[in-house]
Amino acid sequence: METRPDSPPNGRAPSGDGTKKLGKRIEKVGHTAEQVWDRTRDSFSEMGDALDIKGRVHRHPYGTVAAAIGIGYVLGGGLFTPLTGGIVRLGLRIGLRLAVLPLLKQEVAELVEGLEDEDVTTGKRQGARRTRTRGDEP
Amino acid sequence: MEMTEKIEETARELGARVRPQIEEAKRRASALNDSAIGYIKENPGKCLVGAIAVGFLIGKLASRRG
Repeated sequence: METRPDSPPNGRAPSGDGTKKLGKRIEKVGHTAEQVWDRTRDSFSEMGDALDIKGRVHRHPYGTVAAAIGIGYVLGGGLFTPLTGGIVRLGLRIGLRLAVLPLLKQEVAELVEGLEDEDVTTGKRQGARRTRTRGDEP
Repeated sequence: MEMTEKIEETARELGARVRPQIEEAKRRASALNDSAIGYIKENPGKCLVGAIAVGFLIGKLASRRG
């Protein structure tokens, strides 16, 4: 029986051209994967530069950690829960107290000053009346 | 008069006894704060990922209870 060198034997993958094509394809896929990896890395580093995470952590270490906890809390689905309601209520109460107390103090101080001034003026008037009435007496 | 003097003396003694402990506690708290800030600055990634994980757990627990 004659065998031809250019035709592949039965049940075997074509050698030569087919292998070359497969190799090229693998190379292409590898190249594309490399490009995707490079792009992802670049975009992540750009995002990091834009957010300036290291700088933020250096400037406000506790604040950044607190913000990260907050992000995790929201991601964990804790946003619309009674705990959030309680925290918000507590914050509002403290904030209102801090904002309103100085105003109330100022108002009360002004009121007291006004009352004192009024007392002084009325006292002077009464004193003047008394001296007048004494002067009229025989 | 005697009573008030006694109370004042007791308060003074108590203050003298407690003051070093308060100073020590302050010093320790300050050292702890410094070391915590140093650790966060040295390992920002770790700390942020850990904080997000902690927040996530708290959020999960809160949503389960709610």
